[in-house]
Amino acid sequence: MTSDAWALHGWSMATAATVSASCALVGTFLVVRRMSLLGDAIAHAVLPGIVVGVLAGGSLGGPLVMLGAVGAALVTVWLTQMLRAGVGLAEDAGAGVVFTTLFALGVVIVSLAASRIDLDPDCVLFGVLELAAFDLVSVGGILVPRSLVTAASVFILVGFMLAATWRMQVFTAFDIDAAKAVGLPVGSITTALLAATAAATVVGFEAVGSVLVVSMLVVPAAAAELLVRRMHHVAAVAIFIAVVSACTGWLAAWTLDTSAAGMIAVMLGGWYALAVCCAPEDGLVARTVARIALAWRVACEDSLARIWRAQEATGRSTVSLPAPRSILERAALGWLRATGCVEATAGGVRLSPMAARDAEIVVRSHRLWEAWLGRHADLPLDHLHPPAEWIEHHLGITMRQQIADEMAHNEADPHGREIPPEAG
Amino acid sequence: MSGGLPYNTIVVLGGVAAIGFASGVVGSLSVLRKRPLVGDAAAHATLAGVALAFLVTGRRDIPTLALGAFLSAVAGLVTLVGIRRYTRTREDAATAIVIGVSFGIGVALLAGITTRGLPGAAGLGTFLLGHAAALTASDAILLAVMSLGALLAVTCLFKEFVVVAFDADYAAATGWPVSAIDVILVTLVAVMVVVGLPAAGAVLVTALVVIPPVAARQWTERVSTMLVLAGVFGLLAAVVGVLGSAAVPRLATGPLVVLAAAAICGVSFLVAPARGLLMRRRHPP
Repeated sequence: MTSDAWALHGWSMATAATVSASCALVGTFLVVRRMSLLGDAIAHAVLPGIVVGVLAGGSLGGPLVMLGAVGAALVTVWLTQMLRAGVGLAEDAGAGVVFTTLFALGVVIVSLAASRIDLDPDCVLFGVLELAAFDLVSVGGILVPRSLVTAASVFILVGFMLAATWRMQVFTAFDIDAAKAVGLPVGSITTALLAATAAATVVGFEAVGSVLVVSMLVVPAAAAELLVRRMHHVAAVAIFIAVVSACTGWLAAWTLDTSAAGMIAVMLGGWYALAVCCAPEDGLVARTVARIALAWRVACEDSLARIWRAQEATGRSTVSLPAPRSILERAALGWLRATGCVEATAGGVRLSPMAARDAEIVVRSHRLWEAWLGRHADLPLDHLHPPAEWIEHHLGITMRQQIADEMAHNEADPHGREIPPEAG
Repeated sequence: MSGGLPYNTIVVLGGVAAIGFASGVVGSLSVLRKRPLVGDAAAHATLAGVALAFLVTGRRDIPTLALGAFLSAVAGLVTLVGIRRYTRTREDAATAIVIGVSFGIGVALLAGITTRGLPGAAGLGTFLLGHAAALTASDAILLAVMSLGALLAVTCLFKEFVVVAFDADYAAATGWPVSAIDVILVTLVAVMVVVGLPAAGAVLVTALVVIPPVAARQWTERVSTMLVLAGVFGLLAAVVGVLGSAAVPRLATGPLVVLAAAAICGVSFLVAPARGLLMRRRHPP
């Protein structure tokens, strides 16, 4: 590849990355405030504002178009809220009516005026990222794409606004009622966020088109939110995801000879899927691992407790190996024997001293719970076992002590079997 | 246009009228169930299905593309349910993710097909904003039959849909199979989105299942009246949109259908007897 081609790709990638970063930044707040669909609505509804701005002689990314877009965004929100207050229309239905109408209006004007302005329905839907490197302006002697200059100014502006009002924005996002109660100007804070959304949407619109802006607004923040908790971490991770997706999406589109806007959205979707799978606390992988680990612990503890009960019933330390009730229990028994917790002896197996203590705790939890249930819940005797069988794996020492104190001097469970003492 | 319309135009008009009517009826149930934007997620997901169906079969007749569109709409909705079930992403963000990413897949596929200049690829773009004039009489009849099928399903399950829409908890408590009814309703919405696709386009077809019901709700407190009224509004909007884009070929059908529906909706907001903004001022409740 020649250096010219790299210049072209470099400028386009830089533009895409800057645009995505602005969208991701405002998207962080939209997602937390449950305003994602409002973002979608604004992304559609700014179209007539942009078109009117262009018709009035502005250029894409120019102040006139920005003004039109911010106006259209505020009109969307105002109309939606008016419909809710005026005719009791639910917010999502109202947004559905308003943004489709405004978008349709924009498309009709664009179609009718396509010959007079440099906008057409295709550029409305897919953006003109591919053309970014052909419209250059001089900044300090270096030729850079005009759209990159616009995108960078919007990013700086939006970033500065959010940084300046960060604490108020976060407070409002998480508890709007409390924010109102302590006297924060919640209305202005929300309007500032909406204006920032409109500005980010306009540069996003130019790069990837009206519809795909919503993926830039929502997906990075939604993915980041699964990965980290603190608000500024979410914003940072969202921007990182946005920038990486923009660059890889552009390169993928160039390699596969297809639409950059589409591929950027696909890359963002990939990041979200990755976050869903690999999120540290409640990702699919983490949850599956935790579930398997729990099932394994239950199988091991159940096996030990069954051997302990057999020892108790027969009064001998050597008992025959209990038949496993599941594949997992079979594996658990194998593991317990391999690690020496269960020792094979002549005529059967016995528990190692440490394993016996573990088993005793499980049985103690089980019988304590049966005793407690028997006293407090009006259950027939044969209904005490199943809940105890489940909770025996989850009772901590504090809880066992509390129940034992309450059952003071009652050393037997409702079935009359002795509750083993807390192992020393 | 003086000596009567050509046969094809009349059949397409009839088909689009049926689509508009059925969309209004099915959309009413979806709006009453407070899920007005489910159709939007399904609609944006259809584009990928249209492109894939074309890539796999190499054909671009309406039945093939409609099947692809339906399958990908269902895939989009299943993803939506999966995100809600297995992650802590909020419901509105989940909808936005499905809309954005599925449409991105569709756009990437479509652009890839177009740049490779596959034979017959050019017409796929009409699914974005709708182009009813491109429909043949047999396509229109097929879409009309599917619309009537959806209407039939609504008629048969009317009571079930209404109970679940108005009080899902009560319905569940008294033993109605709420989730099965919801699945049927969402499937019907997906069907209507697919059926409306050639006329209104992926980006705006959702308006056909949202705006007419919202308008109809202003006029009546009875569900059955609302359904019929929404159907009539949808029919009117669809017919006006088709006629408009036939008169001005530069205009896609979808935006015109939406604007017609929005005009009806705006009038309803203002002058509907009991709830209209203008009427209320004169007769305070």
